[in-house]
Amino acid sequence: MKSAEQARNKPVSLPVEEKSRKPIGLSLGAVRTFAPLLAAIAVLLVLFSLWVPQGRFLTPANLVDLTQQISVNAILAFGLTLVILIGGIDLSVGAVVAAAGVVAVSLLNTTGPLGACAGGIGVAVFFGLANGLFAARTLMPPFIITLATMLIARGFALGFNESRPLPIAEHQELFLALGNARWGGWLPMPVILMFGVFLLSTVLLHGTRFGQHLFAIGGNREAARFTGIAIARHEVLVYAFCGACAGLAGIIHASQLYSAEPAAGMGFELSAIAAVVLGGTSFSGGIGTIPGTLLGAIIIGILDKGLNQAGVHFSLQYIVKGAVILAAVWYDVFRRNRKR
Amino acid sequence: MNGAHASAAPLLELRGISKRFGGIQALDRVDFTLQAGEIHVLLGENGAGKSTLIKIIGGVHQPDAGEIRLANAPVRIGSVRAAERLGIRTIHQELALAPNLSIAENLFLGHEPRRFGLLDRRRMIREAERLRDELGLPEMGDVRARVGDLNVARQQLVEIARALSGELRILVLDEPTASLSEAETEALFSKLRRLRAQGVAIIYISHRLEEIQRIADRITVLRDGRSVGTQSAAELDVPQLIRWMVGRELKGRYPRPPHQPGEVVLTVRGLRAPGVNDVSFEVREGEVLGFAGLVGAGRTELARALAGLAPIQGGQILLNGTPLRLRSPRDARAAGIVLVPEDRKREGLIMTRTVGFNLALPWTQLWARGLFPDYARRDAIIEKAINGFSIRPADPNRGVQTLSGGNQQKVVVAKWMEQPPRVLILDEPTRGVDVGAREEMFALIGRMVARRMAVLLISSDLPEVMNLSHRLALYRDGRIVREGPAACFTPEEVMIELTGAAIGCRPESDNNHTPDQRLPDRV
Repeated sequence: MKSAEQARNKPVSLPVEEKSRKPIGLSLGAVRTFAPLLAAIAVLLVLFSLWVPQGRFLTPANLVDLTQQISVNAILAFGLTLVILIGGIDLSVGAVVAAAGVVAVSLLNTTGPLGACAGGIGVAVFFGLANGLFAARTLMPPFIITLATMLIARGFALGFNESRPLPIAEHQELFLALGNARWGGWLPMPVILMFGVFLLSTVLLHGTRFGQHLFAIGGNREAARFTGIAIARHEVLVYAFCGACAGLAGIIHASQLYSAEPAAGMGFELSAIAAVVLGGTSFSGGIGTIPGTLLGAIIIGILDKGLNQAGVHFSLQYIVKGAVILAAVWYDVFRRNRKR
Repeated sequence: MNGAHASAAPLLELRGISKRFGGIQALDRVDFTLQAGEIHVLLGENGAGKSTLIKIIGGVHQPDAGEIRLANAPVRIGSVRAAERLGIRTIHQELALAPNLSIAENLFLGHEPRRFGLLDRRRMIREAERLRDELGLPEMGDVRARVGDLNVARQQLVEIARALSGELRILVLDEPTASLSEAETEALFSKLRRLRAQGVAIIYISHRLEEIQRIADRITVLRDGRSVGTQSAAELDVPQLIRWMVGRELKGRYPRPPHQPGEVVLTVRGLRAPGVNDVSFEVREGEVLGFAGLVGAGRTELARALAGLAPIQGGQILLNGTPLRLRSPRDARAAGIVLVPEDRKREGLIMTRTVGFNLALPWTQLWARGLFPDYARRDAIIEKAINGFSIRPADPNRGVQTLSGGNQQKVVVAKWMEQPPRVLILDEPTRGVDVGAREEMFALIGRMVARRMAVLLISSDLPEVMNLSHRLALYRDGRIVREGPAACFTPEEVMIELTGAAIGCRPESDNNHTPDQRLPDRV
């Protein structure tokens, strides 16, 4: 209370210097934002290297495996970061993973891998566009819209092959390579794709006018409107991009499983949201970074794999993950409020 | 000053502009002309239509009727973008900045510099710095600073710099000095004068008569959505301006309740709270104490502190001589202090429920104790309120949002009257209600007084607050600047006091003012 009083008594004209606060985009200053996340990753790595028996955790092969397991979640989380940044939410991504997978695999034998991917991503973009159009053009809250499209996408996926998995034929090597090939014999294809999406969305959010406008919309929608930014168009594109990410994730996921499962992707949206908020994106909009989301996804991945290898019972794994998310977001909110 | 423009063809001409929002005629056939190279002040009380008018000029709203001509050709200003293309820039009262972005990013929002399709951040910062230095706004500071971390005065500079960054023919400012210190105000004025010399036409909204004397070339007064008259600075006649602004018949329609003050009920000594600076007053039972002030003077903040809605940071509140600790609205209500808030839709009513639900809600401890609610008791409470306050339609099962503004307001007041409070705070009780309901509200205030309540009446409607109150407290910048029997004040005096026009000075306390914490007082 005392500090509030002092703040109020500050004269209106502050001295001119008042050296630069952290700028918003990505720059050296931004490294400071990520320091706690990097520290958390380091702590977790040390912890699990000690905890997992026989030093099986901190081996190159295990870490490459880890990145492979992270990719699908990270790709979903990149798309979701943009949605959450503008104050929205997309619960449908998990179901869209399944829908994109079954569409791609059922097209595979007639159109070949290229057509299959186009079809899978196309159907995912369709769901994203629908989410975006409803969000932009109606007063329905995105939570409800995407809850509904989640059910619709799931039902759509379950309608294929009597809800049974669609196996991918052995000869579809190209398609199977998407999830399983290793470049140079060690770097998994999904990781390369994940990095591609990472670079694309980083540039999109932090390097373009479009991204700049997303920050403005999330920070102060009215101000963005008064500035003449076409909010509806941005919103539709953001949800479509999120859908496209889910489509790619669905294709990779199917390829990894050697089959498209209509029941795949259950709960994926929750892991992806967890990665986004761990990475420092604010649910009230306007604050967030793609690299932060990547680090958030890595933390979740390390927790998953580490707890597993340490032999922690899966029931306890859930509890630990929940507690970590709670603590991380609490810390983030605390840090942000202290700054003002 | 610049007097040669009167004969030239106007740069901007509005003819017969009308605009309606729901039941309220915000603008009624307004004519307005603006010359290149003049500073044209728009003056008027709250709700007179100034903001609507500049929003139409700035492309935020479209007029229902009327014509806009720019440089002698009819134009349609369909969007903010369209206005910008025509060289019209507006600085709104609610700052239109993204708090999470830096100064530079805000300056270029919507037209960011690009290189190979990507944001050119370095050029953005360089150009922002150049803009800052060219405009002579070194106070703006580091252009990489987050706007949310700046104080309001600096944020305002960012807004101004942004308006100046493009092609500019008409600059519209909505009460830009409300949160500036004297030095900052003077700096702003010298900038405006320089722009005027360059031929920019400036529309300037203000409440402060003193400012008008300093910078206006012409003054147009709006009242109740109509343009009342225009004066040029050369023949400035302040008393006439005030008569134009206040306008309405001051006597007759306001039945001041008989004044038979009893014991002192509420004593406030040196109260400090967010937006409240050292306020002291007393109010007796059977007495109406009116708080007159301009929008943003901090009266709502005082009301909130007394109702337990804002933290009390110092001073004393005594009820019948006993000190109170108000930590929540619950404490305030237990002590018998009840607030009828200014924004009834958000704070006064559960809009999704029925009239009966709203009326019975404060009294659950009377009818819903234990397992089996006493519905008969509830219905009695509701019926008494509906009949006692003649709420129309007299149907407890109607959704409260289907009622007229006046009847909604009656519900907000009536719901507290099952067991009358000792202190009733009415914050803008007649805002947005029609004339008939207004008079009913006045009659209600009379009944409260007859029932020996102490009433604190906050109103920005000057005739209303002056005529209904027994005593009047003039409120400015979070404090009471004068207090006395209402009959001792003239409207002109009050207006001058409230606008700070007296000697052209404003008190030091302006520096402590925290406008970012103040509630949006405006509809």
